[in-house]
Amino acid sequence: MPLDEKAVLAVVGLARLEPPERPESDSAAADPVAAMVSEFAKIVDYMAILNEAETEGVEPMYSPMIEPQPPRPDEPRRDAGKADDILGQAPERVGRYFSVPRIF
Amino acid sequence: MSELFRLTLAEAAAGLAAKKFTSVELTASSLARIKATEPRVGACLAVLEERAMGEAAAADKSGPDPARPLRGLPVTVKDVFCLKGAPTTAGSRILENYRPVFEATVVARLREAGAVVVAKTNCDEFAMGSSTEFSAFKTTRNPRDLSRVPGGSSGGAAASVVSLQAAAALGTDTGGSIRQPAALCGCLGLKPTYGRVSRYGIVAYGSSFDQAGPLARSSADLGLILSAVAGPDGLDSTASDHPLDDYANAVPADLKKLTLGLPEELWSADFDGGVARRLDEARKLLTGAGVRLRPVSLPNLRFSVAVYYILAAAEASTNLARYDGVRYGYRAGGDPELLSLYRNSRTQAMGEEVRRRIMLGTFVLSSGYYDAYFRKAAQVRRLIAEDYRRALEGCDFLLAPVSSIPAWPFGAFAADPLTVYQLDMMTLPLNIVGAPGLALPAGLTPGGLPVGLQLMGRHFDELGLLSAAGAMERVLPSPGDPPALG
Repeated sequence: MPLDEKAVLAVVGLARLEPPERPESDSAAADPVAAMVSEFAKIVDYMAILNEAETEGVEPMYSPMIEPQPPRPDEPRRDAGKADDILGQAPERVGRYFSVPRIF
Repeated sequence: MSELFRLTLAEAAAGLAAKKFTSVELTASSLARIKATEPRVGACLAVLEERAMGEAAAADKSGPDPARPLRGLPVTVKDVFCLKGAPTTAGSRILENYRPVFEATVVARLREAGAVVVAKTNCDEFAMGSSTEFSAFKTTRNPRDLSRVPGGSSGGAAASVVSLQAAAALGTDTGGSIRQPAALCGCLGLKPTYGRVSRYGIVAYGSSFDQAGPLARSSADLGLILSAVAGPDGLDSTASDHPLDDYANAVPADLKKLTLGLPEELWSADFDGGVARRLDEARKLLTGAGVRLRPVSLPNLRFSVAVYYILAAAEASTNLARYDGVRYGYRAGGDPELLSLYRNSRTQAMGEEVRRRIMLGTFVLSSGYYDAYFRKAAQVRRLIAEDYRRALEGCDFLLAPVSSIPAWPFGAFAADPLTVYQLDMMTLPLNIVGAPGLALPAGLTPGGLPVGLQLMGRHFDELGLLSAAGAMERVLPSPGDPPALG
């Protein structure tokens, strides 16, 4: 069953995005939300092709590395020292802090 | 010394060593070529003229140094590589004003080897796309036909090399983004083994797929660049300590001793007529030169588009969660609370294709769908990897087309993202498997558009790929210079 509008809008929210704005006219053809929903559902629908693959007992492959690298020694590095540079990229800051709107 | 920009990297290095010209002259020639061709081609997002001329002067002053084989040689880098003090946008509005405070390891290594970065090249936003049409900033045109796309996502890189702005470019290949634009513009491109090259300081898209590599006009130049950037890196745990080879001195292979496997599933695709004709001729030229060609099979290949788009989108949705309007990049104004700041900043400053892939990744990782999509795709990934290993048994390399169609007119697929995803089918297997591949030109269609072939090798056999390509490029037709651009 293809994804419906409610399911797709839930994904938009989880992705921390906003859906396109609905125009005021009631013409369904021009509804950008409906267009996004149908396009997204079509892509997800295509992915169902994987159901045709036989994967019983197959270990998932999350990395293509054929020779996993040994971890490096757990030694702290003191050469970072870039706090001011990094804070300098902040769109808004207060002193040595990133600034955000209130949370509640 | 008027047309130094025509030289390959190796030729320019030899000329500098013989003191036939200086790096200042060479770099000035490259910058003049950029100025002359950019109004038509649009390959670059930032031209670093002042900085490049300063570095060229320093290179001339320092003189020859065996530890700096790229001394004084102009190159371009894709705008996904962090270059300290220069803009790094990844083609996205959300990074429009970002200035990295650190440098990508591969760029640092190129510069330590002496290379002069003359420009940062255009790409699809966050390297997500196959035509460079998804750049938020500008249109890059195919130097061989300005009404057509250059391919992507490293479209600016390929266009810069083919329009002779620089002899070599650094790009990235997550699902074909080096090989496909190289093929569509008519140059060579190398996607190294996953882990051969550090990913530190590259704006991340799909972390288990992304790999940086060179584009150039000869296989020797690919080797020069790879040799400078490859190797382990304390800043990237996936950069492998597998022994390095002498990529800069690959000896052309003996074609009579070469056996290439032709994956049936790729060669039976629905090809454009002009592309099919070139591919047939290329096979005849290779067999005529003594190459043995044998059919092989990748039975699970038909799943590769779904596997790639599920896994890469999942990784992208995770990687791009960092763009939140708080620490760097674009921030939407006037939001009274945090969640709407995140949503509005991301929605306003990310393009439609990027948002689509973030949504797809979020969906396949969400509760209730994870096993059916994400885990299932990772299982099929292993099946494709096993197919690949088996197909290579008894062959030195696999040989496949890069694209079933030549460069297409702007906007041809604008309304149909799924069709564009499916066009990636020929390049995706390598990224799924993590193996290395090399795209090289195989001539032009009757309409004058480049056609490419790709060699696919075993993990860490970049030297073998360079050797085979070094012999094949002497047999296959060269695409020649593009039409006048300046």
